[in-house]
Amino acid sequence: MERFIDRLIDEFDSGKLSRREFCETMAVATAVLAAGGAAANAAPQSGFTMLGVNHLSYSCPDYRVARDFYASVFGMQTLNDNGRTRANLAFGPAPDNGGNFLVVHNPGNNPPPPTDGYVDHICFTIANWNEPQIKAELAAQGLAGRSRGGNGTMRVLDPFDFDLQFGNHIAENINEP
Amino acid sequence: MKAFVATKLDEYSKGRISRRQLLETLMVAAAVAGAPGAQAAPAPNRALKAALVNHISYQCPDFKRVADWYSRVFNMEQVTYPSEPTQIGMPFGRRNQKPLGVTADDVPTSYIVVRTRNPAGTAADKSAVARPRSRATIEHVGYTVADFDRNRARAQLQALGVQNIRDGGLYSLHMTDPFGYDIQLSGVANNALTDGA
Repeated sequence: MERFIDRLIDEFDSGKLSRREFCETMAVATAVLAAGGAAANAAPQSGFTMLGVNHLSYSCPDYRVARDFYASVFGMQTLNDNGRTRANLAFGPAPDNGGNFLVVHNPGNNPPPPTDGYVDHICFTIANWNEPQIKAELAAQGLAGRSRGGNGTMRVLDPFDFDLQFGNHIAENINEP
Repeated sequence: MKAFVATKLDEYSKGRISRRQLLETLMVAAAVAGAPGAQAAPAPNRALKAALVNHISYQCPDFKRVADWYSRVFNMEQVTYPSEPTQIGMPFGRRNQKPLGVTADDVPTSYIVVRTRNPAGTAADKSAVARPRSRATIEHVGYTVADFDRNRARAQLQALGVQNIRDGGLYSLHMTDPFGYDIQLSGVANNALTDGA
């Protein structure tokens, strides 16, 4: 790592690397270090080693409505909001170390054609599950009538009637299907 | 991390710290950031805060075909559900492995569940059919892979016969699955800070 950073500084000093490139390269190198040998270096001879979901591209009539909903209801962090058509909503681990994000955006000029395969809902994991408090927060947001479920897994419709599920590690766990 | 690196780089550029100090500071920062348990602090007193994608539910006419495609292209394991014969779950990484960047014990591995629903089928099927029509769509899904190199990834995907491979900016590739759905592939360099910046 020391040799790697030393070389980066050389490249920055000589103008081969911009300030932005330096920062991004350091961030990626740190993320790879954080991923550790088990995940980042375990790629097989052929094929890919999947680490997780990167993002979901969410298209809707008004990205600002979606942005405000996901930030206020699910505590997501708004990043790279261009103020006109799109924003990123980050959640989970650090963005460059396994974090997930929604790209909420208005429809583009060339939206993709409908396909036979589609995402019909997404589910978020909620840590430290506290169902009474969750229900109270939904009610406080005026969402009691748009949500349902319980016992570790619930659903709520977002402002555009997209179906969202959220649950704890007991009710929603691929390790215990 | 980026903000910290940028600050230290500024100090170095202005002569406030030496090259040696910059090197040592970045070494320590990288080690701390990479240490187990290093995560952004959670928002306090909030019950409903998304910790990670738990799963993505994907509907298609032939769930087995898509599951086999994911297993072949992305080396994903298949998990069957005795009570739900028309769906297959596919975890990212090995089952029971902690997701990248997660230290909490109550945040499990994310997964994709591919389904072929029958409108006249189970209660879950009927519930899904009864939902209001959404005015929002998930236009594509992006996945993170280890050790991503765009040229190498493109060659691998081409060798696997994957359709409609195209560049997605500096950090990623797009492709389509067997039912034409758009999938993006990238490394950790494509993230909420860099995307759209």
